[in-house]
Amino acid sequence: MSAIGAGLAMLAALGAGLGMGIATGKAAEAVARQPEASGKINAILLLGCALAESTAIYAFVVALILAAK
Amino acid sequence: MVKTKTVTIIEFALSAVAFVFGLIGWCAVHSHIKHNGTSKALKKKSRLLMVLMIVAAWFFIGTAITAFWNGKAGMNVEFSMFSDRVSVFGFSMAKTSLTMWIITAIVLVLCLIFRFLVFPKFDPDNPKGFQNIMELAIEAMDNFTKGSIGDYSGELSPYMFSLAVFMVMCAASELIGQRPPTSDLIVTLAMGLITFALINIYGIRKKGFGGRVKSLAKPNPVIFPMKVISDIAVPISLACRLFGNMIGGMIVMDLIKSVLGGYASGIPAVLGLYFNLFHPLIQTYIFIILSLTFINEAIE
Repeated sequence: MSAIGAGLAMLAALGAGLGMGIATGKAAEAVARQPEASGKINAILLLGCALAESTAIYAFVVALILAAK
Repeated sequence: MVKTKTVTIIEFALSAVAFVFGLIGWCAVHSHIKHNGTSKALKKKSRLLMVLMIVAAWFFIGTAITAFWNGKAGMNVEFSMFSDRVSVFGFSMAKTSLTMWIITAIVLVLCLIFRFLVFPKFDPDNPKGFQNIMELAIEAMDNFTKGSIGDYSGELSPYMFSLAVFMVMCAASELIGQRPPTSDLIVTLAMGLITFALINIYGIRKKGFGGRVKSLAKPNPVIFPMKVISDIAVPISLACRLFGNMIGGMIVMDLIKSVLGGYASGIPAVLGLYFNLFHPLIQTYIFIILSLTFINEAIE
């Protein structure tokens, strides 16, 4: 039963995937528009991806707590 | 049992034959190249035979490990939130904290060696070799910190650099088969709490205690409890992010190793480049830049 709960908890990865995809797409657009600013865009993209990823990571930790005995 | 034995013998024979075939073919092609000159088709052939040889050798080693050391594929992967415990001089200790102590000792000894044996030999006027690397790394860290927070960057840059060294060493400990200390929630929570303390110390130093409290109620006093809660959430979110990322990489590597079983030579090393080296480096970068961002927010 707890395994099903762990699987359901990982549904939060959906939002993180969407968010990271949108952020990366926008970053690609920004680099295409201004290639000379790619260094700054890269740093911001990494930070944004880390923040977007964190919801999925929390879900992963919750799933671990549920699944690990 | 008999059937598996036959299969093992057939596997041994096949891989040995493939290896010998590859070796003979490779030698023949190379002697041909030596006498008659090289061409594109011959080069391609020699590369193909080389790949065949490597694959055959890998298969042979894997079969040998499976047969003699009982490396089974498809083992159960067992993991827990907390690390195994070992007994050291009668004290029950987590393995990760033992690893962490060893890493700290190594870093301290390296620091002492650098300070008393290597640094006095450095020539400030014409740097060369190792001195160049050190200056490059420290200058990069200084510039990075200065770009993120204007004031106090001189004080925070050494701490951030040592944090980076510690985290990279922790990740590297997984390469020699230890559970990395950063995949223990206690260690990451301690690092998050240090960041929390730094945020408040620098906020109070810059603005005074009243100013720090006032800055929490900045746009509207109604928002004060929410700001306090979001400030308290900072160390927890930092700790959980690092912990989740590190344990995720560790579980993926465990899964790969258990799926391959006895054949787990070579392939995990290539994948480990991403999961054990590149991924922790990104996490180190993110931890440091998030800490600096929060501190900058507090002193702004």
